[in-house]
Amino acid sequence: MSLEQLNAIKFEEIIYDNLESCLVIFSRKDCHVCKEVVPLLEELQPNYLGKFGFYYVDVEEDKNLYQRFSLKGVPQILFFKEGEYQAKLVGAVDEDKVIDKIDEVLES
Amino acid sequence: MGDLKYDLIIIGGGPAGLTAAIYGGRAKLRTLVINKGTVGGLVNTTREIVNYPGYAQISGPDLMKDFKKHADSFGVEFSRDEVVSVNFSQEDKIICTKKRKEYMAKAVIIACGSEPRLLNIPGEKRLQGSGVAYCATCDAEFFEGEDVVVVGSGDQAIEEGMYITKFARKVTVIVLHDEGVLDCNKVSAERAFQNEKMEFVWNSTLEEVLGESNVEGVKIKNLKTGRSSELACQGVFFFVGMIPSTHFLKESGIGMDSRGYIPANDLMKTDLEGVYAVGDNRVKYLRQVVSAAGDGATAAVAAERYIEELNAFNTSVLKNDKQVLLLFFNALNNESLEFSTLIEEANQELSEPYKVVKIDTATKKNLAQKYDVKIVPSVVVLDRGQEIKRLDYSMDKEKLKAQLR
Repeated sequence: MSLEQLNAIKFEEIIYDNLESCLVIFSRKDCHVCKEVVPLLEELQPNYLGKFGFYYVDVEEDKNLYQRFSLKGVPQILFFKEGEYQAKLVGAVDEDKVIDKIDEVLES
Repeated sequence: MGDLKYDLIIIGGGPAGLTAAIYGGRAKLRTLVINKGTVGGLVNTTREIVNYPGYAQISGPDLMKDFKKHADSFGVEFSRDEVVSVNFSQEDKIICTKKRKEYMAKAVIIACGSEPRLLNIPGEKRLQGSGVAYCATCDAEFFEGEDVVVVGSGDQAIEEGMYITKFARKVTVIVLHDEGVLDCNKVSAERAFQNEKMEFVWNSTLEEVLGESNVEGVKIKNLKTGRSSELACQGVFFFVGMIPSTHFLKESGIGMDSRGYIPANDLMKTDLEGVYAVGDNRVKYLRQVVSAAGDGATAAVAAERYIEELNAFNTSVLKNDKQVLLLFFNALNNESLEFSTLIEEANQELSEPYKVVKIDTATKKNLAQKYDVKIVPSVVVLDRGQEIKRLDYSMDKEKLKAQLR
């Protein structure tokens, strides 16, 4: 299942209005490391249906979003809970790291 | 488990692995490529390839898509997974993956490529994604109008450095060598020297990446004077070479040098029977797409022949209705050659109750090992693959016949 892509408006709505517990991967089409990480998230997503959201931001299409978090590279996975930024994972992460981080965020 | 048994498994889907897959598929071997990311490997990070024959200019990802399509057309299977451990000690090689699958193969080609080397200096790891980067295509744009430092002077460092100048205000390249000496190709060097946004710091290396939550600068050490200086910047790109991604093979007993490269002969054979190493995984002179492809072709053909011999042995020896005399000889050992003639004669005179299969221990080390044969000549008598006895060595034909009756 592919990840739902967010633009600035959608981002605002999900993170800050709905206060959803979720992760957002900041990615771009021609980044090879992103191409390793995105499918991994797509596979994990069904295990967290209704519990934890998985979203995607394309940094080329939505520059203002990565500028807002002053990101300096992709892929980066940002974790949110109750409208607050919790943590991030950078670069070529593996499944276990993502699972651990989700657990951490859910339990905090 | 039956569907996880393959003739040939290729670990890695870069140009070497995909070429091996094309050859394996075409040879009608049941072939699987296990690849952890996007098929294409490191070639995917190259924006422009101008030295692959037949393609005057093509992007890395496009070239790899063509390779993949070609492999698909020969019925090769692909699995997006990562190999975590292997067991190459038996004839059937076992490969375990992160998705908890256990594959079996008659032959394995190691083509898993390499990954960027880290300098392991303070700040490098901590500031990854916060100014420290390894891929210009991915990250250059984040440094629009800023100052960037590039470490290294190989093809990748200089070409990526020039790409970064499209976005950055200034790119400072830290070079180990004396003034004017770069490791990259001459065309790129000339272009880099003419690029107004490129600056060079010679005879130097990076000591530390500075900054709290984002990169704010670097500490540069001059190797000639030993003096350190600081340079303010917002980004640091490391291009200090690659290391082979062969760590998962550490326990396998395969021969590797201290840096993790696998020595292989001109057939791409490693020191383990039925296991081949290609492309960036082996000790070699040139690391290019074209040479990687060449390696892949050689390894697949060598693997095909190896499998053929293996199958031939299985049908002629292990499934033969007749009892089999497995005769181990060595072409350099005259005694063993004379003995082999004598055995054939004795067998014929008894009107061939046995099928004689001769095995040269110099080339079939795995069989000698399997039957625990340490000296030549030796004869193992098999009944449907089961050892029933061993013959005593004798150059007396009658004594031999007595043992064969």
